Amino acid sequence: MSRRERLTSRARSLRSTFLPTDTATGWALVGPGVLLIGAFGLLPVLLSLKLSFQKSDMLSDGTPWVGVDNYRKLVDDPLFAHAIKNTVVFTALFVPGTMLVGLLVAVALNRSLRFITLYRTAAYITMAVSTITQGIIFMWLTDRDYGLVNAALNEIGIGSQPFLASPSQALLVITAMTVWGWTGFTVIVYLAALQGVPAELHEAAAIDGAGPITRFRTITVPLLGPANLFLLIYLTINALQLFDEVYQTTRGGPLQATMVIVYYLWDRAFVQFDAGYAAAMAYSLFAVILVITAVQFRLSRRFTHYS
Amino acid sequence: MIKTSSTGFRRRFTVAVVAALSLTLQGCGGGDDTVADGKPEIVVWNGYTDAQGKNFTALIDEYNQQHPDVHVTQLVSDTDHVLQKILTSVRGNTPPDIAYMYGSWSTNIAKMPKVVDLTEEVTQSGWDWNDFYPALRDAATVGDKVIGVPALVDNLAIVYNKKLFDEAHVAPPTPEWTWDDFRSASAKLTDSGKGQYGFTMPADTSETVAWHYLPMLWEAGGDVLNPDMTKAAFDSEAGVRSLTTLQQMAVTDKSVYLDTTNTTAVKLMNSGKIGMITTGPWDLATFTDIDYGVQIMPTYGGSDAGHQTVAGPDNWVVFDNGDKRKRAAVDFLKWVAAPEQVRRTSLATGDLPIRKSVGDDPAFVRQLDEKVSGTGVFVENLNNVKKSKPATAQYPEVATALGQAIVSVMLGRAEPGAALKDAAAVANTALDQK
Repeated sequence: MSRRERLTSRARSLRSTFLPTDTATGWALVGPGVLLIGAFGLLPVLLSLKLSFQKSDMLSDGTPWVGVDNYRKLVDDPLFAHAIKNTVVFTALFVPGTMLVGLLVAVALNRSLRFITLYRTAAYITMAVSTITQGIIFMWLTDRDYGLVNAALNEIGIGSQPFLASPSQALLVITAMTVWGWTGFTVIVYLAALQGVPAELHEAAAIDGAGPITRFRTITVPLLGPANLFLLIYLTINALQLFDEVYQTTRGGPLQATMVIVYYLWDRAFVQFDAGYAAAMAYSLFAVILVITAVQFRLSRRFTHYS
Repeated sequence: MIKTSSTGFRRRFTVAVVAALSLTLQGCGGGDDTVADGKPEIVVWNGYTDAQGKNFTALIDEYNQQHPDVHVTQLVSDTDHVLQKILTSVRGNTPPDIAYMYGSWSTNIAKMPKVVDLTEEVTQSGWDWNDFYPALRDAATVGDKVIGVPALVDNLAIVYNKKLFDEAHVAPPTPEWTWDDFRSASAKLTDSGKGQYGFTMPADTSETVAWHYLPMLWEAGGDVLNPDMTKAAFDSEAGVRSLTTLQQMAVTDKSVYLDTTNTTAVKLMNSGKIGMITTGPWDLATFTDIDYGVQIMPTYGGSDAGHQTVAGPDNWVVFDNGDKRKRAAVDFLKWVAAPEQVRRTSLATGDLPIRKSVGDDPAFVRQLDEKVSGTGVFVENLNNVKKSKPATAQYPEVATALGQAIVSVMLGRAEPGAALKDAAAVANTALDQK
């Protein structure tokens, strides 16, 4: 063995000691990330699964096992059923609402105008406003006696509405507020998708005599498929987890009209200290989200065109 | 070869794990036992801001100067969320030595490990435990265990806008008022054209609604729970009577502004849109734009329960971080809650005195009332605290159910009797799960 060969072989064996395989290198690099996600993501998820089979007030030491009692209690809890109903109503209004408003605004912004960047930024601003601020703005806007919205309604001869103070209107106001808050996000997604629609398709169709509405319907809309799918799933997941807006404005009221699942869960866990029950609720919600997302994926595969 | 590589990997992985863990753990640390020279260092968590913050900082500074053998520091954070933080810190084994906690949490606090039982301590000389108002002692006691030292006391009284009473030609409230007088005044003060209401009630989903209703229930001769706290008792004649008062005002007279978020009423009061509000001394400082008066609650004709109010007491809770720090923490609280410091704190902040010996001193009350007008009535009203919120861990659920019954009646969606019956059923289910 020549000196050179010896050196090479030694280097190889050194390398095999310290960097035995690419797998090890890979693990070493992602290790800290895996560890952090494991410790702060995965572990709590597993622990709360365990918690959902226990009775715990998070304060005292004893956490007796209660089997599926927490889940059984959920089935008989009228307030939980009520929260599910509210959440479903909200989701059914919020998701299509946000997508429609977002699409309209995006189409309006998808052209070359003077100061177009300014308009686009303005549309995105709703995303930059924090939920807290948004809540305060809407509370004052819709105040029964002193709000601007009622002042405007009075001007056109409509009587003052109680809005957030009314069990029948509060959820609608929260929906409107949330749609407003999410518009900026949907606009950005739709704008990006609209700009991916090839101009030559439109040109070709125009030459063939298709009007703008026909072109929008037959070219633009189908090509927005992936964006629609993404928004549908993403907005649905977020809608099912509605919390901040409710916490900030109505706290589930009036008369539980805006009591949604996550707010109820929070109230159970951190106001009434019934952590096991809240964990069972969280896991039920998780299962539902999983199923809904899977169904949405499956259904939309049929309708989504990626090119 | 494969074997070497896998052990090598495992070893390095372990190193990475340990490194990352030590990084994360370092972030959580900070519970050093003592400083280098053996002098106990104790930390007090509180939510004091503004005048209260200034006063408490001055107290700590003075205590540190007078007691060179300890060092007291503070960490200021919002009291609304302190229970969750305490929970985490106790689980992480790094609780503060002292924390300011709401009295409504007492039953929960009593269940936490590391909370120091002060039952023996407060019988020692120098505490004069019975000098604290009864409502405060109640809130600091769970079962037969003292879990805290009184920190603050509030109560509810009527704050009214003098100008609105003048304009409506209504005589301002007197201690002789009954709830009928209250109702008719409220109706006269209401002017829907001007968006003006005679009275306001919180109508959110929290316990606050029930809290504001408790004095009425008690004055009518009712109670929240039965004496052994196993069944709801608000579903009674007294309950219906007091809730009917609210129904008549809110539904028949439409003289009540229902604050569904429990945030706007105080602002509206200060803008002169509301005639009367039941609130505590903490709000007085915010009524800068109106000329207000304060009066104790009206009574129910025919009821011998007289004037009552509800107290909102808060506590200092001590956590066990070793004997030395525990002792230092208890000594510090003993000093803070001593009459001299109580008097000083009241005068500096407008808070009510937590000791009866201070509150019964007319010269002090006069001085306090000069500082924040109307506070004197609140001090005297402490003597009308005859009952306390039931000290049971299920109280939040009971109060929430009761609160929803009150809101549904005020919104005209239910009749008092039926609403209270439904709420009692919910409350009983909660109490059964004890």
